[in-house]
Amino acid sequence: MSLMFSCDDKATLVAYLYDEVDAADRQRVDQHLRQCAVCAAEVGALAGVRTGLTQWAPPNAELGFTIVRAGGEPSAASHPAAAVPGPPPWWNTVPVWAQAVTAIFVLAVSAAVANVQVKSGPGGLAISTGWMTPAAPAMATPAAAPPATDESWKPALTALEQQLREEIRATRETGTVRAASRPSDGDDATLRRVRELLAASESRQNRELALRVTQLTRDMNIQRRADLLRVEQAIGHTSVEMAKQRQTVNYLIRASTTPQQ
Amino acid sequence: MVATDEELVARSMTGDADSFNQLVLRWERPIYALAYRVIGRDEDARDVAQETFLRAFRALPGFKGQAKFSSWLYRIALNLCRDWIRRKKRTPIVDMPEDVDFIEMAADQGPVESIEDLVARNEMSRIVAEGMKLLPDEQRTAIVLKEYHGLTFQEIADLQGCPLSTVKTRLYQGLSVLRKHLESQGVTSFASGRAS
Repeated sequence: MSLMFSCDDKATLVAYLYDEVDAADRQRVDQHLRQCAVCAAEVGALAGVRTGLTQWAPPNAELGFTIVRAGGEPSAASHPAAAVPGPPPWWNTVPVWAQAVTAIFVLAVSAAVANVQVKSGPGGLAISTGWMTPAAPAMATPAAAPPATDESWKPALTALEQQLREEIRATRETGTVRAASRPSDGDDATLRRVRELLAASESRQNRELALRVTQLTRDMNIQRRADLLRVEQAIGHTSVEMAKQRQTVNYLIRASTTPQQ
Repeated sequence: MVATDEELVARSMTGDADSFNQLVLRWERPIYALAYRVIGRDEDARDVAQETFLRAFRALPGFKGQAKFSSWLYRIALNLCRDWIRRKKRTPIVDMPEDVDFIEMAADQGPVESIEDLVARNEMSRIVAEGMKLLPDEQRTAIVLKEYHGLTFQEIADLQGCPLSTVKTRLYQGLSVLRKHLESQGVTSFASGRAS
């Protein structure tokens, strides 16, 4: 360690500036500054910069960070809370390709155990599971039953047509209109059913109408409250502006009336 | 009896979130101030501060106590600031708070500080902020850690991962740049009471 402080020893100068030097170095620098005007001016200027730095303050931000566990209750509801998830689930540590392979394997084993059988034929796609004997295709897919080839239905249809023609002829001969005659028991039941349906429909419409009226009333109330809130906010904003203007005027008056020193 | 950082850290490690929140409450403002002075944007500084505590909470099991908790937090925050600067690829911009109202501030200050003093102080703050913007990241960070957080040269060296002499050089060069900037702005006189 030299006994004399050198003007180029900026490291020691900075240490001196921040008071992080030992006593011996401090004494050396002090002695040097008494003799060297340039270094003394530099130390003074740098100390002045440090004073200037004290003027720089960050904004007075409202922070209030709060750590909460995911799914837990926040410690302070009024503060912005940063939800912290718990440790990552174990499957997140497994690569995606391994997860895909595992999924395919599990699916294949499940299909084998369940004895899934997929058959495709003229009747369509048939899927069966289990170890039992698969059901007959006609039962499994009734829509896929083969079309009937025998013509046994034709005589029955002919007989029905014949019966209808005879009834129509009999009606014309009697000259009466069935529709105008006294309703039979079957007609009474139909009439009752129609009335019941009409009553049910009317009741349903009434309920829907009541629901819509309620909805409309609620919407109107919400809109009315929102409008009121907006108006109150506008009034509050105006009041704040007026208060600011008043403060400004007061300060100007005060400043103008204060004697200059 | 106020619990020390180490005690709160130990409790936090057992899953006591309230203890960690006490640490958050204790350190949120210094961390925010550090982030603000390094990256210079209020909103981003908030984000960095919040992310700092989130990362600290997640990494708490790995904190072995080799360093002080505050140093550990500073390191996380500085890394996030560095990432932010790299990601944004922009020079830190120091924004003055938008909602500064001199009139209201004057009312808050009372009769001690006149409006003229207040305006001068704000002007000085603006000039300093501009000067800090001129500095390289390393110099600015060193000055912020030294001036506003009172770290020792050795602590700054540990945080910045550089030799002690480099920290002193960065401080000297940064202060010299600021000195020139202040002089160029017509600021020449200070109360130099801080010089040792």
